[in-house]
Amino acid sequence: MVQPAVIATDALPPLPAIIIIYIGTVFHHYNQQNNFAQCYWNWTLQTRATQTSSLETLEIDRRKTHHTNPYAMENPAWHDDRAGQRHPPGGHSGTDDATGRVPGGWQDQSWRGTESIPMDPMSAGAEGPSRQHDLIHSTFQNHPDSHERSSSTQLPSLISGNTTLRWRGVAMRRISLFPNADPSCVELTEEAIRNEMENEEQDLVKELVALSTRERIRAIQDLPMSFGEKKHIRSQVLAFKSSTKSQQFTCFADCSENMSLTFRRCGYSVKSARQTLQLWQGIMKEISGKFGTSVLSYFLFLKWLLMFNIFSFLINFGFITIPLLVYDVSPNVPPNMSFRGLEILTGVGYFNYTVMYYGGYSNETIVGQVEYNMQLAYFFTIAVYMVLCGIVLIFSMAISFKENYVLADAASESAWQLLCSWDFSITSERAVRLRKNNLRVQLKESLSEKTQRTRLTLSVKLKHFGVYLGSWLLSTSLALGCGASIYYLCLYEQQKTTDTENWTLLQEAETLLVPFVVSLMNLVVPLFYSLFNKFEHYSSHRRQIYALVVRNVFLKMSILGVLCYYWMNVVAKKFSCWESMVGQALYRLVIFDFFFLMLGSFFGEFLSNVIGTRLLPRIGVPEFDVARNVLELIYAQTLAWIGIYFSPLLPAIQIIKFFILFYLKKVSLTQNCQPPRRTGRAAQMQTIFIALLFFPFFVGALSMVAYISWSLTPSERCGPFRGLSNSFSVVIVWIHHLEGIPGSQWVIWIYRHVIRSEIFYFIITLIILIIIYIFWQVTRGRKELIALLRQQIVNEGKDKTFLLDKLQNLQKSKPKKPSKQMNQKKHTKHSSGSQSNSSAVAQVLLARQQFEGDEERRDVGGVPVPADISTSSALIQALMARQRAEDLDENVYQKPDNNTSSSSTFAQAMHDRERAKSHGRDDHYTPSGFSENPTNGSSALLQAMQARQRAEQDRGDYAHDLPSSVSGVMQAKQRAEEEDGIQWTAAPSLNPAPPGSSALIQAMLARQQAQNEFDDGY
Amino acid sequence: MGTGASQLDKDSLLKYEELTFLTKQEILLAHKKFIQLFEGKKRPPELQTSRVPKHKIITVLELQYNPFRDRICHVFSTSEMNNGSLTFEDFLDLLSAFSDSATLEIKSHYAFRIFDFDDDGTLGCGDLEKLINLLTGETEDTSLKDDKVKQLINNILEESDIDKDGTVNLSEFQHVVSRSPDFVSSFKIVL
Repeated sequence: MVQPAVIATDALPPLPAIIIIYIGTVFHHYNQQNNFAQCYWNWTLQTRATQTSSLETLEIDRRKTHHTNPYAMENPAWHDDRAGQRHPPGGHSGTDDATGRVPGGWQDQSWRGTESIPMDPMSAGAEGPSRQHDLIHSTFQNHPDSHERSSSTQLPSLISGNTTLRWRGVAMRRISLFPNADPSCVELTEEAIRNEMENEEQDLVKELVALSTRERIRAIQDLPMSFGEKKHIRSQVLAFKSSTKSQQFTCFADCSENMSLTFRRCGYSVKSARQTLQLWQGIMKEISGKFGTSVLSYFLFLKWLLMFNIFSFLINFGFITIPLLVYDVSPNVPPNMSFRGLEILTGVGYFNYTVMYYGGYSNETIVGQVEYNMQLAYFFTIAVYMVLCGIVLIFSMAISFKENYVLADAASESAWQLLCSWDFSITSERAVRLRKNNLRVQLKESLSEKTQRTRLTLSVKLKHFGVYLGSWLLSTSLALGCGASIYYLCLYEQQKTTDTENWTLLQEAETLLVPFVVSLMNLVVPLFYSLFNKFEHYSSHRRQIYALVVRNVFLKMSILGVLCYYWMNVVAKKFSCWESMVGQALYRLVIFDFFFLMLGSFFGEFLSNVIGTRLLPRIGVPEFDVARNVLELIYAQTLAWIGIYFSPLLPAIQIIKFFILFYLKKVSLTQNCQPPRRTGRAAQMQTIFIALLFFPFFVGALSMVAYISWSLTPSERCGPFRGLSNSFSVVIVWIHHLEGIPGSQWVIWIYRHVIRSEIFYFIITLIILIIIYIFWQVTRGRKELIALLRQQIVNEGKDKTFLLDKLQNLQKSKPKKPSKQMNQKKHTKHSSGSQSNSSAVAQVLLARQQFEGDEERRDVGGVPVPADISTSSALIQALMARQRAEDLDENVYQKPDNNTSSSSTFAQAMHDRERAKSHGRDDHYTPSGFSENPTNGSSALLQAMQARQRAEQDRGDYAHDLPSSVSGVMQAKQRAEEEDGIQWTAAPSLNPAPPGSSALIQAMLARQQAQNEFDDGY
Repeated sequence: MGTGASQLDKDSLLKYEELTFLTKQEILLAHKKFIQLFEGKKRPPELQTSRVPKHKIITVLELQYNPFRDRICHVFSTSEMNNGSLTFEDFLDLLSAFSDSATLEIKSHYAFRIFDFDDDGTLGCGDLEKLINLLTGETEDTSLKDDKVKQLINNILEESDIDKDGTVNLSEFQHVVSRSPDFVSSFKIVL
């Protein structure tokens, strides 16, 4: 037989599990702010309803305490549809026979307790017979299921009403969270659970039926269940649908059903086809399999940029080049011009007369079947492309920021490293081994860093600061120096070049000097920067990378800025067809950048691989430097954006470049590199890169193009805008032209009152500022709310641990004296026992009051704070305190005979429960009440005591006839409850509740009152 | 065995597409792989009921070197023997949870169950210790020292155990996961 002491210690492991489930649900909603209001109502409703039943719930939990951790048993997962085939394991039922029997009764009792709320699926119909059944069959009751049930019994009441599918998801998850629960249980529990599940399922099915087909499929996919369960639910939904449909069957419904099915099939085919058409799928998989997602992010970025360029090429080619080519196929190349081969590098000469550059486009209105104004086409295509690029960038940046930065928590470093960083996509053994090693090193480092951080002295700090300052100064001056030297080089070159059309080969080759130097700087200077980085001591790897990135960005910005300045201020004034000159310069830069990228991967990766493996094994195989490579891509893309005005077909070159670069980098990566040693937060880095691409690079390119089209005079001899004061005047001319055409007044109106009106922009700016301010305030409010809720959870957790500790301490300090002595010292022990017991009861009451107070506060405050958090944990506290009280009581009432049957323990529990109830009412509750002599006026208590006595006698006399004792207990219990009810009504002075209020409110009031009296008493 | 593709008729394909996050392509590929695992058997297997034992499942390249392969099989298996064997539907379930289009909620749910070694519904110290050992290497000389492991566990609990009950429960885990955007991209197995 199980000793009470053992029971008590066994009670510990599962209890946190229950609590966690409660907290779990609550916390889930903490994450979903928009569900707050609903949760709040659900919880208040539920807690009101379960206040009376919470005690019963605890009893269910207590039964579980007869066993150790239920999940330790490795038993097959149970399924609702297979549950009927289960049978209890024979080994258990023998010894636990007596133990098992009484819980059956309690089980029933507890269910009876919950009758008042729509919680118990079988309370209405199956109650009586099931109790009978349970009393007669002395079968072993298993506890995991009861645990399961205790956690899920809360649900129906929670969910009945207007619930969302998400709630349902939580509910289902709770059940499927314990798939390996022990399946062996008696039919009753099983039936109850099955009923429960069926009920849940019914609700779920109803919700799903209400949704549209697409939403339903989505919702079913989202259920965290096994495939079989999902299939079951789906078939149920379909059956339900068809049953409702059969009543109102029409041909139309049938047709529409068929149509929707066909459409869905089409949709799936399209989805699948799109997946097949995705570029480089296999390569991407291979890369992520060998190197992980952080390296993969480079290739994804490259692919993304490639898509940008394909898009830009398509619209430029479609709207600018094709009309021109249709109109005039042959390029008007001078006869003495021939293709010499060097043009591919320099972009001058033959190319100068083709549609490659700005100069190759005419300013005429092409008159074919329709009139096509080349000027307008050129202007609007470029403008629309830039605007679209900007919108795409802003959106992807915003989404990326939302996902990766706003939510990301910088503080949780080691939790992240262990819980979320493992890359499941890695498939090569070497990569797995390396990754494990790296992770170990990283973890060790982070641990030692944590201890080191506190030990930094002032001198060390100063030294670090000095190194930072030095390296920042050095890198900044390097960047500025590069910019300046490029400017002077350009000036020097510009003096030598003339405006003539026929350059010698040498002259042509000289133009390559500037792009060569620029690309060389782009290759070499970052290497210096990485060198500086080695001397600096950064507290985190991420900071180190950020410093590196910022320096590189500064370098590239200064180079590009200087070049743009040179083009706009020097080239634009000197050359007759300056746009084409700039276009050529950009072409050369793009081409040379490509060569240097190849060189870079040769030197950067291949050579260091050779050095690392052959010459200096100490250095080791190089890693793929994602940050450096991505910055190179950003630079290349910026060149293409700047060049789009001067050379509309530059994206074509860019496409070829990126395409080759992809394969090159892939080969270089797989041949030379090892997986990255540090697994940074790749997604965050990617956000940074997109942000950098937008600002400063895209914004810089956009402002340059805008400045050119608004302020600079286009060249007079070539290009679509020849003869105009600036490119934008194309629009002015067009509007003037439109004024003569009737029916286009609205365009003119828009132009005058929107595009050219300051007041419009003023108002727009004002509105945007106001909206931003409002959102800012909302964000601040949300932040405060989040901090508040977080604090709340922490507080609740603290309370919980405090109570748990107390519980543990009390259990430890439990005296383990022989039970005989216990019996003799019964009276003295009673007093102390009741003392601590009453303090535990007081805690229950306190907890309850606390949560009620919280609730009220929230009601008044009007802030949509979900009360469920405090409510649930208050409930938990109440439950725990209650349990402790019971444990104490058990301790006090240890039976003299060693084979204390569970029936007597059970009677005790019942008695305790009774006492706890009566205690709320009884203000002169004295230790004498515990003695066998009924001096106390509480008849319910008396009844319980008698029941206990009788149970004990039954045990002594008919040890073999346990059911009868149990039934005796049951009867006593029932009677006690009846008495209880009578007393409630018979003692109106104690319960001055208004007649209209429900029993629930009465109970609450009585509790509060009891507590007041209790305070007075002690 | 070569007629694997023909076994999947249109209706069941549609059903699979509706119930998982996989596309038709992926389902067919999964089917092919699954049939291959039955090599050596005389009759073509019944998709609904036949199970592939765990030791065969983990020979699939994508799982072969994954340190969590046993846990993955265990979590996705609906076997009553609890031996980690998978039916085709379990296999699809696995791939669906690890697919690109699966939601964060599904992914974090299964990740939690994979990390929950003792199946008790929370990540306790024992689970975390096992996790650390699995992630840093199994052998004696490579694994971390006990005090370091303890320190790490403390760090994790400090950071993610919001209610301070000494374990990481599902919601806390999902909270951590939702704040680490890399998770979705790294919790991925593509056939």
